[in-house]
Amino acid sequence: MPTLRETSLVKVSVEPGATFLDAARALFEARISAIAVVGSEGRVVGLFTDDDLLRGLFPGYLGELRHTAFLHAELDVLTARLGQVADEPVQRHMRPAMAVDIDTSAIHVAERFLHCAWGALAVVQNGAFVGMVEQVRFVEALMRRLSLHSP
Amino acid sequence: MSVLAATIFLAALAVIAFEWVHRTKVALVGAGLMVVVGVLDEDHAVEAVDWSTLGLLTGMMILVGLTERTGIFTYLALRVAQVSDGRPLRLVFLLAAITGLLSAFLDNLTAILLIVPITLLLADVLGVSAIPLVLIEVIASNIGGTATLIGDPPNIMIGTHVPELTFLDFIVNLAPVALFTLAVVTTVLYFVFRSRLAIAPEHAAGIARLDPARDLRESRYVKRSVAVLVGTIVVFFLHSALHIEPAVVALAGATVLLLVAADDVEDALERVEWSTIFFFIGLFVMVGGLEERGIVANVADLLGDVTGGSRTAEALTILWGGAAGSALVDNIPFTAAMIPVVDQLAEGREFDDANWWALALGACFGGNATMIAAAANVAATGVLERSGQAISFGRFLAAGLPVTLLSLSIATVYLLFFQL
Repeated sequence: MPTLRETSLVKVSVEPGATFLDAARALFEARISAIAVVGSEGRVVGLFTDDDLLRGLFPGYLGELRHTAFLHAELDVLTARLGQVADEPVQRHMRPAMAVDIDTSAIHVAERFLHCAWGALAVVQNGAFVGMVEQVRFVEALMRRLSLHSP
Repeated sequence: MSVLAATIFLAALAVIAFEWVHRTKVALVGAGLMVVVGVLDEDHAVEAVDWSTLGLLTGMMILVGLTERTGIFTYLALRVAQVSDGRPLRLVFLLAAITGLLSAFLDNLTAILLIVPITLLLADVLGVSAIPLVLIEVIASNIGGTATLIGDPPNIMIGTHVPELTFLDFIVNLAPVALFTLAVVTTVLYFVFRSRLAIAPEHAAGIARLDPARDLRESRYVKRSVAVLVGTIVVFFLHSALHIEPAVVALAGATVLLLVAADDVEDALERVEWSTIFFFIGLFVMVGGLEERGIVANVADLLGDVTGGSRTAEALTILWGGAAGSALVDNIPFTAAMIPVVDQLAEGREFDDANWWALALGACFGGNATMIAAAANVAATGVLERSGQAISFGRFLAAGLPVTLLSLSIATVYLLFFQL
């Protein structure tokens, strides 16, 4: 049986029209580093990660700056942005979808994890979203299968 | 075959101008087609590449990239903002000056990538619109970059192509006019944007609370990096007396910095913008195709006929034509195409640098006209867009075109009185 079928998935997603705040709440409640943004027919259209949450909460040029230690004190004018993005649609803040099929090989899933920085992938079956898989849960399932770890 | 070569080149320029496909892909496809259809053979294609330009670009990218890690440029930008003491006029002039200076001695694209993100933050802290400040900086970067051999890609191409022109020649012949133009243009732009740059006293206090030196204190290799960068610039001034090519100076400086201030060579070499390097390779091959098929000679003959052999008419046509071409396409491919034309015009004559200064001023000042005219403009508008403050083509044009006309008028007077 493919490893992903033995891995506990977190079924958490939002619609593209959901607000930034809704997506943030879903992320917090699921205690996961990325959630799926799911469109019609269960298709994964993007991911909303904790990086996207951070970028949304701070000015857009933060990612362009290389040095910010000079900001040793909080500046009200910068933190004022926190309230501005709450009602924006999540699709403005999401990133392209990174999904794997539930029946894919463990080595492919491992390769995908090594090439994504946020430690959670969308899992699909017949093209439709079935849940998010966290890297640590995938590794746990893999080790259990190899009898290296007892739950 | 010459029609085919011209068609490939003009089609590539059109695609670059309309930004349908990334410019590097366009240049490489154009270069590939030139070889595949037989405009020029493989040996001539390799010969057409100006390796000195690529060496100079690569060396400077490594030098500036490694020095940038120290936070020294952020420090300079923040100190400038603090010195302005919340006065808009002083802020505008100091930001334009530091951008112009960094552009002249690093290169204008790098200067913009360093200064614009900090400016966006400063604008937020000061409670003013960032767009006027960024526009002034972009324009200052294109004018400041005109002042030296390494400041702007057109100058790099001219400087590495014409061995008679030294680093000091560029400074002597272009820095005064660039400095004067920068002062005039910045004054005009300040009055145009003055109403959007009013700074409330409580916001000015926010800048005073910043600690610019903190990043420097937390960085390694600050002294070594700055020493090597400054040392390299000093050697640029002396390269002619020392009989060392500018590309060798840049690569030697980069090598020294790799030895003394780079723990990870792979990481250090990631500072090289390979897409830019390959863009230049593609361009050189395409222009090589135009030369091979006599198109460059035909354009030079046409230019000679139009100007009737008059030195003044020739230089002013190159100045204004170079600016128009740069504004419509991009000053890098346009300069690449114009260099052999200027070469051809000079055939059989004693060396005369006036046409080269006209080309440098036209291409660099023309880079201010439109959003796509120079790499620095594209980079700055990209940063603005990613930070949610996109600027339209028309809005850029409304500031860039009058500035370009003003700059070219100054350059015309300069050429007439000091070079012709």
